[in-house]
Amino acid sequence: MDWNDMLIPLHYDYMIKAIWVCALIGGVCGLLSAFVTLKGWSMMGDALSHAVVPGVAIAYLLGLPLVLGSFVSGMLAAWAMGVIKTRSKLREDAVLGIVFTAFFALGLLLISLYPARVDLKSIVFGNVLAISDQDLRQLLFISGAVLIMLAMKWRDLLLFCFDAQQARAIGLRVEWMHALLLMLLSATAVAALITVGALLVVAMLITPGATAYLFTDRFSRMLGISATIGVVTAGLGAYASYYANGSTGGCIVTLQTIVFLIALVVAPKHGLLARRRRERKEVQS
Amino acid sequence: MNWWEPFEYPFLRDAMMIGSLIGVLCAVLSCFLVLRGWSLMGDAVSHSLLPGIVLAYLVGAPLLIGAFLAGLLCAVGTGWVKNISRLKEDTAMGVVFTGLFAMGLVLFSKVPSDLHLDHILFGNLLGIGPAEIREVMWVAFPVLAVLLLKRRDFLLLCFDPAQARVMALPVRLLHYGLLALLSLAIVVSLKAVGIILVTAMLITPGATAFLWTNRFDRMLLISSLSAVISTILGVMISYHADASPAACIVLFQAALFALSWIMVGRGWLKCFVRTGEKSTPR
Repeated sequence: MDWNDMLIPLHYDYMIKAIWVCALIGGVCGLLSAFVTLKGWSMMGDALSHAVVPGVAIAYLLGLPLVLGSFVSGMLAAWAMGVIKTRSKLREDAVLGIVFTAFFALGLLLISLYPARVDLKSIVFGNVLAISDQDLRQLLFISGAVLIMLAMKWRDLLLFCFDAQQARAIGLRVEWMHALLLMLLSATAVAALITVGALLVVAMLITPGATAYLFTDRFSRMLGISATIGVVTAGLGAYASYYANGSTGGCIVTLQTIVFLIALVVAPKHGLLARRRRERKEVQS
Repeated sequence: MNWWEPFEYPFLRDAMMIGSLIGVLCAVLSCFLVLRGWSLMGDAVSHSLLPGIVLAYLVGAPLLIGAFLAGLLCAVGTGWVKNISRLKEDTAMGVVFTGLFAMGLVLFSKVPSDLHLDHILFGNLLGIGPAEIREVMWVAFPVLAVLLLKRRDFLLLCFDPAQARVMALPVRLLHYGLLALLSLAIVVSLKAVGIILVTAMLITPGATAFLWTNRFDRMLLISSLSAVISTILGVMISYHADASPAACIVLFQAALFALSWIMVGRGWLKCFVRTGEKSTPR
């Protein structure tokens, strides 16, 4: 394959559009994943990405904007999790699991009742290669809103994620921060759902942050690294999906996982090699 | 409308029977998982089976074996990533299972096959044939037998691993044994309910039973019972509403959980919950 062949995907408008849309969403998810990793909310990302599905289905059925539907169902799920968690002796992971699987099943039920009007495949696997202008506008709107909120509030959110007690002590409204992070996650989950599909949103919300966490101890750097990983892997993955029959989500997340595995081995301070070296030094001294 | 109509069709009777068997298998496992804090392990393992299934198809091996190995890889890989990095277990799990799942999707799109992704993801309870019924039985009964015979050991592992070690139980063997049994259970459940909803069957019945009682044997019984009821009524509802049976089963389980939760909140189950607590001085 020579260079001209490599450029083939770039001859198509829809490929170019898919690449930059994915890169944008990848970046937004990357930024959020840094917060998610720090807060230890990895499974919340998983839960919310499944919980928005019934909202998406209802929005399709009623012709409403997808954002609205998914946002409402994401927040409903988060509310249900909160209520059940505080008023039962169950552990958090079980509560999360019960609520999100129930929401997801409700979504599937709706889709199975009206198979002609809701496209299951595009919800589950995403459909960025044939994204409609309406979806594109919503995506841009969400990304813009999330980026603005993050730009305004990232220091408060950081403190909340790192040490909620401390945040409360210096007078931040912790409940509000909690709700804000949930809202940002729900909104981003639907944007990512359009690009990579419901099943792989969770990877976009975990892997870049986890990778960046291996590279650095400074949060501002972690934000930069995870956003960069998000943008690059999502863009490249969208490009590579030309060769993989359109499995955009699969390509993006496979790339992210490869980057993570590399980081696991070579990361300067927390990687496998660095750790080995340190242990050897300790043995010698 | 005749409510008993579904029982007249052999394929629906088969679906209810196999669905109940799988439901009981998952329900028994879910009791251990809830106590161990592993509720989302089912989610992770079930997603990670996909590349194993596709690779097994490629080399012509039995799909069950490929899926089983992939499930084990996910469980072992999660432990490995957690041990060698400073990531928490849930983050490590998230990275590993989504990575495997994504790899499975890419492989699937590159490999021409007659596998139906829909069936792997959402199950095909109504299209189960005699060969699959035999397969499910061959796996489900031995797994159930091991779980029930060794339930005391597994229970101690889940409830208090440190104590289990003190009592010289083979903790490592039990740990990986439970993971292997979980993978096996998920592998056979795929046929019926699919990757996505098996997660629910591995959490909800156990959590429901956990609300009802403090005694483990009763918990096993209640969770199995709730799974069987959900399966039979779920299939009946799906027949009448012309909806996805797997989704109906899971929603019925969730409804049972919600009902139990409300009843516990109102204090209506106190007589049950108190049993087994020998001393609750108030």
